[in-house]
Amino acid sequence: MPVHDDDRDPLDDRIRELARDVNVPPPTPRDEMWQAIASRRRARPARAPRPRWIPWAAAAAAVLAVGIGIGRLSVPEPSHPSPAVADAGPAPRVNATAYRLAAEEHLAQSEAFLTLFRASLERPGDHRLASATARQLLAGNRLLLDSPAARDEATRRLLEDLELVLAEIAQLSPGSPAQDLDLIRDGIERGDVLPRLRQAVPTGTALNHGAL
Amino acid sequence: MTPANPSAPHVVRGAAQHDDSQAPEPVNDRELIGRVLAGDPGAERALYDAHVDRVFRLVYRMAGDLDRAQDWVQETFIRAFDRLAGFRGDSALGTWLCSIAISVSLNGLRQVRRARDREVALDDAGLLGHVPIQADPDLRTRLGQAIEALPDGYRAVFVMHDVEGYTHEEIARTLGVQPGTSKAQLFRARARLREALADFARE
Repeated sequence: MPVHDDDRDPLDDRIRELARDVNVPPPTPRDEMWQAIASRRRARPARAPRPRWIPWAAAAAAVLAVGIGIGRLSVPEPSHPSPAVADAGPAPRVNATAYRLAAEEHLAQSEAFLTLFRASLERPGDHRLASATARQLLAGNRLLLDSPAARDEATRRLLEDLELVLAEIAQLSPGSPAQDLDLIRDGIERGDVLPRLRQAVPTGTALNHGAL
Repeated sequence: MTPANPSAPHVVRGAAQHDDSQAPEPVNDRELIGRVLAGDPGAERALYDAHVDRVFRLVYRMAGDLDRAQDWVQETFIRAFDRLAGFRGDSALGTWLCSIAISVSLNGLRQVRRARDREVALDDAGLLGHVPIQADPDLRTRLGQAIEALPDGYRAVFVMHDVEGYTHEEIARTLGVQPGTSKAQLFRARARLREALADFARE
């Protein structure tokens, strides 16, 4: 059914006029609110900036760790290795395919985790395990964001959105108000994070590896 | 009252109601974001000053209560500062802030409704916090109740479009929906309100 602004009942104008006199905002209490904002932000622990070299070094380590099973898939063995290469022994060979597979593995784990987490929101409970899992995934997510896997624009955006959601879950504690859970659920739904994760993950990834 | 121009993110909405001396100077969002991310505390305040009026107006319209509105605006900016590094600039900063504000407001309204339902369940009379719509003869009061009774999505679109003067395109960007969805929800919201006020229309 096409809907146009012109599809307006004469009563609509009266309602609109009256509605502007409902809940009329008072002057903004800007200083009062700012003091509360500053105070609440000061009360939280500051996040230390990450040294630039750590993500790169750790990214390689993470890719190696995640890619134990996938590394051999990512780099086909040369049929005729040169003597120099053979003499040098096994060199680290992390290529774009390995990063892509590591990203797929990570996204699959994240998708499974968020699916379980969202389902768990329907019942009250302790979210400490979810928080710990989110922290682990968050670490991998940050590494991937700094890796060549994030050069793909769609993947990078997905990883950035995922980072926000994981960071929120990681901050959950037994005393977290229910509103925090609502905001996390809203964050997952508003950014279409789960559908995008499912789209990014090839069928069978991660769960077939027993990721969760 | 004529709604302020919602497409101007740094123009204080409803400025006629405010002390002009408080209105912030136009600022460059991109520059401000850079300074905030670099750790400049003055930039945080400048960013807040540039957008707080617009956010407060919208949140207050949704909340209808000063304490709740203040809480939700504070939550909006705290979340915005936390997420600022992830702001990609796909929309204007003001739109992004309003998106967070609406999200916080809708969640807040759900909390309020749940709390109210619990109170009602505990109260045998079952009338705590609610005045039956037919009991109040004042059209404005009745309209306020009817707006409050709208489903969250309808309420947000009605408040943004018919009260605060946002366009459907702006609402769509803020709520993450298609403009057609915004139009459809406004159409249905108006129909609900007409229905709620039908007997006044006959008078």
